[in-house]
Amino acid sequence: MRRALVAFVVVALAAACTAAGPQDRAEVRVMVAGDPEELLAYRAVADAYAAAGGGPVQLLEIEARDALISRLSTAIAAGNPPDLFLLNYRYYGQFREAGALASMQGRLDDSESLDADAFFPAAMEAFRDGGEQTCVPQNAASLVLYYNAGLFADAGIDTPPDDWTWDDMVAAARTLTTDDDGDGTVDVYGLGVEPEIIRVAPFIWSGGGEVVNDDDDPRWLAMDSVKAAVALQAFLELRQFHGVVPTDEEAESEDLETRFLRGGLAMLMESRKVVPTFRTIEGFDWDVAALPRLGPEPVSILHSDAYCMPVDAAHPDEAWRFLEFALGPEGQAITAGAGRTVPSLMSVASSEAFLTPGAEPSNSQVFLDQLTSVRSVPNIARWPEIEDAVNALLEEAFYEPAIAPETPELIAAMQFATDPLFPGG
Amino acid sequence: MRSERRALWLMASPFLAGLAVLVAGPALWTAAMAFTDANLVGAPSFVGLGNFRELLEDPTFRLALRNSVMFAALAVPLRLVLALGVALLLARPTRGARVARAAVVLPAVVPDVALALAFTWLFNPLYGPLNAVLGGLGVPTPAWLTEATPARWGVILMSLFVVGEGVLIAIAARGQIPRELGEMAAEQGAGRIGTFVRVTMPLMAPVLLLMAVRDTALSLQSSFVPALIVTGGGPPPGATTYLSLFVYREGFEYLRYGYAAAATLAMFAVAASAVWLEYRVVSRWVSSRSGWSA
Repeated sequence: MRRALVAFVVVALAAACTAAGPQDRAEVRVMVAGDPEELLAYRAVADAYAAAGGGPVQLLEIEARDALISRLSTAIAAGNPPDLFLLNYRYYGQFREAGALASMQGRLDDSESLDADAFFPAAMEAFRDGGEQTCVPQNAASLVLYYNAGLFADAGIDTPPDDWTWDDMVAAARTLTTDDDGDGTVDVYGLGVEPEIIRVAPFIWSGGGEVVNDDDDPRWLAMDSVKAAVALQAFLELRQFHGVVPTDEEAESEDLETRFLRGGLAMLMESRKVVPTFRTIEGFDWDVAALPRLGPEPVSILHSDAYCMPVDAAHPDEAWRFLEFALGPEGQAITAGAGRTVPSLMSVASSEAFLTPGAEPSNSQVFLDQLTSVRSVPNIARWPEIEDAVNALLEEAFYEPAIAPETPELIAAMQFATDPLFPGG
Repeated sequence: MRSERRALWLMASPFLAGLAVLVAGPALWTAAMAFTDANLVGAPSFVGLGNFRELLEDPTFRLALRNSVMFAALAVPLRLVLALGVALLLARPTRGARVARAAVVLPAVVPDVALALAFTWLFNPLYGPLNAVLGGLGVPTPAWLTEATPARWGVILMSLFVVGEGVLIAIAARGQIPRELGEMAAEQGAGRIGTFVRVTMPLMAPVLLLMAVRDTALSLQSSFVPALIVTGGGPPPGATTYLSLFVYREGFEYLRYGYAAAATLAMFAVAASAVWLEYRVVSRWVSSRSGWSA
């Protein structure tokens, strides 16, 4: 009897010592989408987590960001969802309103390693539902202005200062738009910008207008105000009147990022995502500047992805443990090292891990400064449809002024196309 | 006799099982989903005919329907004529015919996505070889990706590139026509065109009908990859948004699977109507020519 008791205690102790080992932890399945540089960073985070004794992580990698929604929804429908996935706030409403996301508020409150106040508030707010944190942001970027410093110097123009106005930018873009060989074709365009609602919105806001009637309870597009119409008109004139952005054919033939890379574009409005590619530029210096202001105050637009957890995640505890690591100082520093994202954790964003002295862009601080005046588009369920409907009309008006309606009619067409897509529509 | 029938059923059973599991089952599931607000993420609710009512009022659906019908109306006859013409050219065992047949079939075995990427380059408005050649010949260079009409023709052109399978079927059908029939027609004074119209075509009609029916049904799907990858459904406003792309976006991008399922049923109805129409037209034409009834 005594022997049996001793044997039982020994076996129980051995089991207790081995059961908690990381190698026995369930594998966390994390779905991520992004370009190769971004995926490399996620792999590095997963490896570092495993090396730190966190346990195994299986990354479900999707190279085409567009395919994420379909892969994710079919995985959920098949009863085999990932334990965590990265989602942009503009697509988050679809999953939130379908009740597919587990609240992270309780875990965040109880967490010993994550503090909600340590993250950029604008990014946290974009993933909040009824006061509860549904997803925790992994990055917090915004729209900025990239510029080719060599072209500015050649033209004798000062590089964009902190307080640039829309008119300053247009004037510079006009000077920088050149036909160098005199063959009647523009060789260098002053500016590159996609005709999309997320590119126009910052200038509507800066000009004092609104995109929707109420950010918290959006019911219709509110771009029919004079201020919004003025901003929209100014945006359309970039192609229609000033001719400082590539034509439709040129934009279809060569994307703006490639055009900037080869020195055919003096300025480009983009988020942080182009930095890894632009760091391969050898022929000229480049940097980033804040978006110009159309009204009294500059405003930019939030670009943010967050880790979300489905309600029926197989291993929620292990997933949260990985999230704590990925969004902690070490994980965020690894992701920041790829250069593609702005960390959502303020301490890492303001550290050398992100600001990377000696590496371009030298003015990465602008990404952080803009986050104080950044705004978000609504994250309602049908927002992706609203964006697509508006973008189709906007693109036509931007490139085809001959057949496109005047700005007031364009705004009316946008409202007509999107009214049924808003809640209560 | 009974053992022969059993053997036939046995041989057909793998196909029938596949058909039931991969086609009939999902089709029934789709039909059921069309009456719900399914989004695959949450629990679906029954919405009756709500999705169909919404389709009727949806301008994007109407545009996609119109684009799909136009695509089928132009691409199917063109593909058929091209396949038939190439088949008649290559039907004779002349020198180099085998190489030519292989060259015609080859594009059909290239994955759709690879072909679409190749055409994205070919159609590039400024740097694409197609417009470079047309420009070199002094021919106007269409804005393939930025104007509605050239973009629509671009998608049709892509579909014409993959007629190899149809060519092979048509060559086989042509080979089944006894040579004596042609010789008899020639003896009775029929010229080449007369022989083609009165002998070759009526005898090939059942196969051509089959090809047309299959192509019509496929045309609703085959426009998907070019529209998704090459034109992105544009240029605005939705010049190359076909029903297949509409269904894909509603289901996989907007998570409106119930609505997408209703659009899929509408797509099925369009295909069935077109096939029925083709059947009626061809059978009447053939019976008026040769007494054959389809």
